[in-house]
Amino acid sequence: MTDPILFKDIDEPGLRTLEVYRRRGGYDMVSKALAMTRDELVHDLEISGLRGRGGAGFSMGKKASFLPKTTMDKYLVCNADESEPGTFKDRELMTKLPHMLIEGIIIAAHAAGANRAFIYIRGEYQEVADILDAALVEARDAGYLDNLPLVVHRGAGAYICGEETGLLDSLEGKRGNPRLKPPFPANQGLYQGPTLINNVETLMTVPHIVRMGGESYAKIGAANSTGTKVVSVSGNVQRPGNYEIELGIASRELIYGLAGGPPEGREILFWFPGGSSSPVLTKDELDVPYDFDSMAKAGSMIGSGAIIIVDDSNSVVDVALKLASFYRHESCGKCTPCREGTNWTVKVLERIQSGLGTPMDLDIMASVQDRIIGNCLCVLGDSMAMPIGSMIEKFRPQFEEYMESRREVAA
Amino acid sequence: MPRPFHRDITFSIDGREVTAPENTILVDAAKYGDVEIPVFCYEPKLGQPVGACRMCLVEIEGIPKLQTACSTPVKDGMVVHTLTDRVKEAQNAVVEFLLINHPLDCPVCDKGGECPLQDISFGWGAGVSRFIEPKRHFEKPLSLSPLVAIDRERCILCYRCVRFSQEVAEDYQLVFEERGAHTYVSTFNGHPYVAPFSGNIIELCPVGALTSKPYRFRARPWDIEQAGSVCTLCPSQCNVSFTVRDDRVLRVLARDHKEVDDGWLCDKGRFAYQAIHADERITRPMIRDGGELREVSWDRALDEAAAALGRARGKVAAVVGGQTSNEEGHLLSHLVRDVLGSSDVESRVAGAPSAELRVALDHPDLQATVPDIEFAHAVLVIDAEPVDDMPIIDLRIRKGVRRNHVKLGVATSRPSSLDPNASAVARFAPGAGEAFLAALNAALGGGGVLSELAEAAGTTEQAVRDVAALFDATDLVILYGERLLSGPRADQTARALLNVAGKSFERGRDGAGLMEIPAGTNSRGLREVGCVSDRSPAEIAEAAAGGDLTALYLLHTDPLVDLAGEWEPALDRATTVIAHSMFLTPGIAEHATIVFPAESWAEREGTVTHPDGRLQRLRAGIGRPGDVRACWQTLAELSKRLGADISILTGSMATAQMAEHVPIYAGITHDELGGQGVRWQERDAASAYPGDVDFGPFGLEAPPVRPRPSGSELQFATFRSIWGGPEVAASPALQFLRSRPRVLLSPADAQRLELFDGLAATVAPDGREAVEATVHVRDAVPEGSAFLESDVAGVVGTAGIRKAEAAVVV
Amino acid sequence: MSIEVRRYEHGSRVPGWDEAADLSKDPAQVPDPATTPVPEDLRAEIEAHMANYPDHRSAAIPALAAVQRRYGWCTPEGIEQAACVMRLTPAYLVAVATFYDMLETRPVARHTIYVCTNISCSLRGADELLAAFKDAGDEQEFNIRGFECLGACDIAPMASVNGVYVGPVTRDEVPEVIAALRQGREVLPDKHLVKRPVADPNAQT
Repeated sequence: MTDPILFKDIDEPGLRTLEVYRRRGGYDMVSKALAMTRDELVHDLEISGLRGRGGAGFSMGKKASFLPKTTMDKYLVCNADESEPGTFKDRELMTKLPHMLIEGIIIAAHAAGANRAFIYIRGEYQEVADILDAALVEARDAGYLDNLPLVVHRGAGAYICGEETGLLDSLEGKRGNPRLKPPFPANQGLYQGPTLINNVETLMTVPHIVRMGGESYAKIGAANSTGTKVVSVSGNVQRPGNYEIELGIASRELIYGLAGGPPEGREILFWFPGGSSSPVLTKDELDVPYDFDSMAKAGSMIGSGAIIIVDDSNSVVDVALKLASFYRHESCGKCTPCREGTNWTVKVLERIQSGLGTPMDLDIMASVQDRIIGNCLCVLGDSMAMPIGSMIEKFRPQFEEYMESRREVAA
Repeated sequence: MPRPFHRDITFSIDGREVTAPENTILVDAAKYGDVEIPVFCYEPKLGQPVGACRMCLVEIEGIPKLQTACSTPVKDGMVVHTLTDRVKEAQNAVVEFLLINHPLDCPVCDKGGECPLQDISFGWGAGVSRFIEPKRHFEKPLSLSPLVAIDRERCILCYRCVRFSQEVAEDYQLVFEERGAHTYVSTFNGHPYVAPFSGNIIELCPVGALTSKPYRFRARPWDIEQAGSVCTLCPSQCNVSFTVRDDRVLRVLARDHKEVDDGWLCDKGRFAYQAIHADERITRPMIRDGGELREVSWDRALDEAAAALGRARGKVAAVVGGQTSNEEGHLLSHLVRDVLGSSDVESRVAGAPSAELRVALDHPDLQATVPDIEFAHAVLVIDAEPVDDMPIIDLRIRKGVRRNHVKLGVATSRPSSLDPNASAVARFAPGAGEAFLAALNAALGGGGVLSELAEAAGTTEQAVRDVAALFDATDLVILYGERLLSGPRADQTARALLNVAGKSFERGRDGAGLMEIPAGTNSRGLREVGCVSDRSPAEIAEAAAGGDLTALYLLHTDPLVDLAGEWEPALDRATTVIAHSMFLTPGIAEHATIVFPAESWAEREGTVTHPDGRLQRLRAGIGRPGDVRACWQTLAELSKRLGADISILTGSMATAQMAEHVPIYAGITHDELGGQGVRWQERDAASAYPGDVDFGPFGLEAPPVRPRPSGSELQFATFRSIWGGPEVAASPALQFLRSRPRVLLSPADAQRLELFDGLAATVAPDGREAVEATVHVRDAVPEGSAFLESDVAGVVGTAGIRKAEAAVVV
Repeated sequence: MSIEVRRYEHGSRVPGWDEAADLSKDPAQVPDPATTPVPEDLRAEIEAHMANYPDHRSAAIPALAAVQRRYGWCTPEGIEQAACVMRLTPAYLVAVATFYDMLETRPVARHTIYVCTNISCSLRGADELLAAFKDAGDEQEFNIRGFECLGACDIAPMASVNGVYVGPVTRDEVPEVIAALRQGREVLPDKHLVKRPVADPNAQT
């Protein structure tokens, strides 16, 4: 196990303040990075292999390189709208290391050639936004932000604003509806200007890459999944919380070793490896290495790095309904398949719960999921359809059993 | 900004090689190969695609995911499939999803039979639904406005109506509320959606969610016919299609013409058709008999009119209303001038520039077109409020600013609804247009002292400079209100305008130029067919009041309602007052001796000329009601009875006769005009336009000193809103919008005069009868000025304003 | 006596769906400053937000949040005032306000308690916790809402009490939370999330 990078001594008293952060070498990487040319910095990020920590897992350096080199206004937006159920890593990182985020933003803005930056933080994180605002005042007073106006923009409760183009619309003061792509944000993002959008954890990793050099960073972790990753483990585990792991360790080690596994006497029914949007895996799939490619091969994804454990005291139907209701609530309503498909799925599951379900409903529901996937502007609909689809596929007998028992109750 | 040019490329769709302009949106490009891709949310008129409905998903080779054809520009060599199983599955999916909460109440839906949702469900749906959950049910229909009903069960959330409100009309009153499956179309806090262009959302709606209250349940699509013509209610001359059932107009739809209206209509054009079938309409000739107008036979009316005109030979004057067609204007001019030996046939509302200056101003080399507004680098609006004076141009200006980053300047007295879109706004004192132009001329290096001229115009040097900065644009379009060039100093003002125009663009340059926003629908055509007189209407009124003119011919106008000046004594004194009118408006009811029933705009034949020179054809959509006869026929008949038979037997003969006498229109026929019209400047006959024109620059006189108000007086001007006119007054559905006297005041003046918003005030213009009006306090009104809404626009001067007696707070 | 038929029991019941426009009202255009008084401090706050962005419309959410802080919810008058300062139509702002869960467009009580009822919390008893809160606090005083994932699954089941994250909260602690709010005391001071150390044992060296 490699040493933690982001979590190293994260609970040191006063680390939120500029003074303590700087004493630990904080902001030292700003001058180092600014001394590099934009191309050198982007190159370093590219060879580091750092992949976005927000969910999509796209190469951070490559994304930064997409921004045109024109002189027009360019923007860096930090996506701190952490809303994927089961995910709470950015919250912990921002609460404890606000200055590391600012440092990362300053460096990433240089990589992107951005002259203005925003942190879009979900509105529910009021305490965290206050911490960031306080850190911002310190950083501004210390002169770190002289060339980069940085504003903490608080959202107001909408999961879809974590989707990068929904976030941009929201930041522009509109309803947070995702946009058509193309144009991609790198060309036409915020206020029509080229925009780099990165997750909190990604940006906080940037100063460390500058410190270590991209090549050294790339040696940590697994092939194609370099570095460490903060993973949020929650649900039916004994020690829920955030764990910084080296990518590629066995999922079992993370779930049982670090988080303690399910409560005594319980077994894992299924688990979400990457937030509620990821197709579920069963207890037979606990040895899949926790990295981007292995998880994809197993038919799921590490997404935002949030493991939710569901033990065998629960019913798959209840979890499916919880999940579908969430996506129905959060669908922005723009695309027909997502808006209507999430709604339909909830109605079928509610009927099943009320004892009026039939096995045919499972076929219809599975088909509804298929008809959502790939047919929308963004992946919110897919985010319901993939896990629900995987649940029906992997737990059909449990669904049918549930229907039977409910039918008896209803009768 | 240069207009986009696209080279042709070849792409493949469903195995067919198709040639289309590069970057055409795939939905449209597919049509070049006769392939229809179904859409709901896609509507190019609304701007950028949103890709929301997902109906247009297609497969493009090389791209793993299905793509929305509404957002994909076609490229050379693209290979597109719309008939594969994958695409069909997606189409079936979207239709199924759309229908799960749609009530399928087609039998009782007004849209039935002309509903894209019906058509697409039939064409691209699976025909079955697996949705067995209860559908949502809500109250329906509900009022969205007095004109529009909303049925939220039927809504498929396609974004069209809200995009129209937000990105075309920019009134931003119509929005989505809530989120996801809960989303619904609404307004703020139960306010109705009332805006000048609101009715367009009915036509945009691809389902029966937004329906027209006046049209609901009046007809099914198979009961009706569509009749294309041109709306003559304002100078926009929008192309329309009348929905006709049993010889009645039941609805007016837009007939998309990119060079005229862009496919939009204002609510006046869309709903005032009710006036066509109003009970108040005059349908038989009338003669004043013992002080009362009584219906008589056509023969008697024509005999009496011919006899009266014959008696008044040499002492006849005709006043021509803006809705008059070119043919009618020409025939009247012939009657008055050639047959009756008189000289006054006037279509202009007030004193106008001399013929030489007019020739310069209307010169083809200086003429801007409607599309120029959209593609110019800058547009300057001077002394006009497009939304009131030529509504559809307002949308075109907004489109240019929004989509093509056209820089907009607004120089007016009254605050304009375009101010928020403008990069330069100048306010000058009411009536100080000449001084403003002189100041602008000075700012552009044309001579004169800017500070003094700005002061004379009642504006600031900075404001003038801001406007002058627009003149750096390569292509500048100047839109000016006809009233800018009215009044006793019309010539001086016209010279200043020509000077300014000379600073902005080379003559003959495409994409730049001047365009007049006229006071009347066909002002330009009527000028061109010769309805111009040496005397202004006010002078004609004076001559009639003095007994020098004994017969007045009022063609589609009521001077008491439409014109400034002392018309009461003129109409009183004239022995004969002949009027063609649809309605007994006050001046006609009180003073006309002979009244001929006029055709409505849905019944007429002939041509009108757009302010940019486009001749457009009016076609009769319905038969004339009652005993109404064609106006050209009446005028020709009068000529005949007075001894000059011009042998016109049909509407097209009237057009031919008119074209024969107007050199620049030579040879125009209905066939040539077709459904799209033609700009005369683009025809060979344009070479007949006078040469040897003096475009200036001219030396300018010092503008006159403005009257300074004193005490409780304010500088004052009247304006006519889009909702003025007898057609609105006679349409039951538009009563709530009908123009009412309102006086706009600045907060400072209101406070000083102890008036507040909603209070009734007495407005006493200098030398005129006082009017009672409701006070509207508006932040944007400049201190010291007041503006009164009235049917007669352009009255300028000073006015005393005070609390009305027995004032009631509304 | 007529029997009340519940027409809307199926599916979602959305306030607004059944509301017609009031035809006696004027259209809601951009509020005119001359007839729309705005409290100075509210104006100043909104204008300060507007200055933070290249396009002032970006301040829509902060402006609505300011309105909500001042009036308890996004009242029509408050929205009109914000619209007046921002030179937008009130419809623009209401479209934004209704999109976001935290902006209230109906009157609500003074204290806000969001109980996370998403997957991770519900696996640890969140639904029961929400029920307990609803039993304990009355609507006049407490705006108690089940909320989607609040991003604090490490302290499940949890609640955001007037913006302060506390957890894990047991049902037994609900009366104490309610009492603390009524008495203006700090809510469960030992259970504030911001005070919690990271779970990862490797983080402490």
